[in-house]
Amino acid sequence: MIEFSNVSKTYENGTVALRNVNFKVEKGEFVFIVGASGAGKSTLTKLMLKEEDPTSGEIYINDFKLNKLKHRQIPNFRRSLGVVFQDFRLIPGMTVYDNVAFVLRVTQVSGKDIRKRVPYVLDLVGLQNKLREYPEHLSGGEQQRVALARALVHNPSLLIADEPTGNIDPELSYEIVDLLNEINKMGTTIVMVTHEHDLVSKFNRRVVTIDNGSIVADNRRRLQYAR
Amino acid sequence: MRGSSFGYLLKEGFKSIYKNRVMSFAAIGVLVACMLLIASSMLFSINVTGILGYVEQQNEVVAFLEMDLSTESKEKIDKEVKKVDNISKFDFVSGKDGVLEWMDSLGDDSVYLEGLEDEDILPDSYRLKIIDIAKLHETVSSLEKIKGIEKIVAPIDVATTLMNIRSAIYCAGVFIVTILLAVSIVIIGNTIKITVFNQRKEINIMKMVGATDMFIRFPFFIEGCLLGIISATISFFLVWGGYELAINWITVNNAMSFHSFANNLVEFKTVALPMYLSLLAGGTLVGVGGSMIFVRKYLRV
Repeated sequence: MIEFSNVSKTYENGTVALRNVNFKVEKGEFVFIVGASGAGKSTLTKLMLKEEDPTSGEIYINDFKLNKLKHRQIPNFRRSLGVVFQDFRLIPGMTVYDNVAFVLRVTQVSGKDIRKRVPYVLDLVGLQNKLREYPEHLSGGEQQRVALARALVHNPSLLIADEPTGNIDPELSYEIVDLLNEINKMGTTIVMVTHEHDLVSKFNRRVVTIDNGSIVADNRRRLQYAR
Repeated sequence: MRGSSFGYLLKEGFKSIYKNRVMSFAAIGVLVACMLLIASSMLFSINVTGILGYVEQQNEVVAFLEMDLSTESKEKIDKEVKKVDNISKFDFVSGKDGVLEWMDSLGDDSVYLEGLEDEDILPDSYRLKIIDIAKLHETVSSLEKIKGIEKIVAPIDVATTLMNIRSAIYCAGVFIVTILLAVSIVIIGNTIKITVFNQRKEINIMKMVGATDMFIRFPFFIEGCLLGIISATISFFLVWGGYELAINWITVNNAMSFHSFANNLVEFKTVALPMYLSLLAGGTLVGVGGSMIFVRKYLRV
């Protein structure tokens, strides 16, 4: 599903963000990528979303080889992902329904399917009663759940969550990760990037630790052994 | 592209104009001003060309023959004069008819010429109407080569002045239109730039969820196109109203001795359709062209 092979990234100003990163995420896994600020998490996320290209190495995600991906192929690749951001990135002038439907409109799904799919996914995240609300009238946790619904509405096989709990209360953070767990149980592969070690430690999931641009720990084998 | 997607994008284009209504209003205002100037220049140019045509028609070349030519020579000259290009009308005026016309033009003072009607005091002549005053020099040269023609009186100065006025109007027109087109494109560009800035969040989200470049850019083309169409339509009606008022004022006040030319002023109805279509085409072209240039520049998708 995801494979990073000897991936390094050096920015034009000389900053080395990633050093020879190797890791794999299999279909159906739930992986936390943790690290302190400046460790290279953002660069890793940008590479996964094809916002940046690696300086060296190869990246495969959802059967797309990102290094060889042409500009016109990027939309197709991104349609195979769901993305959740720390700052929610909801559109203020749109209702909850429209924010979620927006993804389907952009990907040119028929109106009939939009009307069927959007209420279903909003129900999934527990916001079936907030369809006509605007984001500014929702709490941080609710806004993140809308973002989650938006990320899931087109039924992606992989969900990348970039610090999804960074802007919400700690209690609500657990709710969000619980929700991600539920989504994972339905078969969606989840990669959650976070700096919150405490949160990660509460869930018995694979944790890839990144520091100073390198992967310094990966508990995959330990988990496999424990299971 | 699906029909429903096209409808959605069209709606987004309209919504974008409404959301950025202050900037859209400013863009339409400037575009209308530019188009008003362009349309006024067009009308001015059409009318000046009409008036120049009228002035051209009033000018004639007179070719005086030598005195005492034989009938044979006159017949030969007549044939040769008729062979000269750029002449629409030939009037032969005998010397005696010339004296009579002269007496007519003198009115009461014609008494001084009384008794000379049957004398050969004036040569025979040709009064020639010129088709294209720009070719007057060549026509006069051709006439001068005909043996038996003694003198040619031609409004060379008038022709030169008319040609200068015509080329000045043409140059000024091209200059004004070029400048205004450039201004219009920059205005559209600015509007698109601000719209892109205002919608950077939506655009970023669109990119992240897999919208194609075309899908992201299309509403901006619609926006540019609509700005052009709206501006063209407003300009057309303003020019129409303004022109009718000006014509009325000229007719009522006989302004600036214009009454002699008033009959040559173009009726707006006769140019309305081509004018509207030109403005519409220009507006759409500037709108879409400006959007295409600036969306590519400001919207790196």
